[in-house]
Amino acid sequence: MARFYVLEVPENEGVIRVAADDPTCTVDRVGPYCRLTANGPIVIDRRATGVRHAVWYSAVSGLEASVVTQHDKDALRVESR
Amino acid sequence: MSETTEPAAPKAVHRVRGVDHAAFPTFDPVGTVRFYRDVLKFPVVHSICAAGWGPEKHPDFIHFFFDIGNGDRLAFFYYFGWQPAGDQSAPGDAWARLPHETPEFFKNSRHIALNVSDEEDLLEYRSRLDESEWPVEMQVMHETIESIYTHDPNGYMLEITRQLRPVTLQEDLDAALTIEALCDVAAGEDPSMDKLLTRKAELIVEKAGDWENENPAWRESVEV
Repeated sequence: MARFYVLEVPENEGVIRVAADDPTCTVDRVGPYCRLTANGPIVIDRRATGVRHAVWYSAVSGLEASVVTQHDKDALRVESR
Repeated sequence: MSETTEPAAPKAVHRVRGVDHAAFPTFDPVGTVRFYRDVLKFPVVHSICAAGWGPEKHPDFIHFFFDIGNGDRLAFFYYFGWQPAGDQSAPGDAWARLPHETPEFFKNSRHIALNVSDEEDLLEYRSRLDESEWPVEMQVMHETIESIYTHDPNGYMLEITRQLRPVTLQEDLDAALTIEALCDVAAGEDPSMDKLLTRKAELIVEKAGDWENENPAWRESVEV
């Protein structure tokens, strides 16, 4: 299971929206954080989020038993550790 | 005595009130005055002409101050007869030179950032710099601020920045959790972003729910 956290602020809205639109990914909330969970890897397409450079590279707030295996101009990929 | 006085309210724990002055050495007072007074139009607000000071070998110096708004000041020391140290072709500034292979990100990590209130003012300073010998090197939209950057005649990086929106309550929580996680992993072996984010997730699970109960107003920042 892959799981990571994204702080709910206006700039991160695109990341959260792309995750919520992914049928393999569940989005729920822990306080002001969105918790993204999936059985397999979670892959967020950078262009689909529409977020700018600085926001993209600081969008991940926490990793639960998971590891970032890709975080570049194309995608963010989080997998089970 | 019938006279009663209200007990004084206890003073806050956090009592400082911003920057009084930040001070840097200069070997180029002419360029420094042109840059800050003539290009940026920061008023000169104070100066001290000191013939030596304290220790026997202290050189004569001028200590001069520019107003950077809000009553805060940026100050320079010019020491007569004092020469810059180190290899002047190496990355660095008037205060110090670093090894030749030092990357730009590290050199520029030490800088001063001045605040302006809106885009109009940011662009005003951009045009003042662009018409000078020290044009803007970068204009960057960060997470919640937009900034312009240049280096002053002494090699110090100057940033001028505007906030894109106010900082939210949840960002204060996030900062507190980041710093707690950072201190935990930096005290251990081989600190890394991976370790920090793993520790931070534990702190989110432990604390974010209670925080929300105590700070329900945070939602106003994300509700349209």
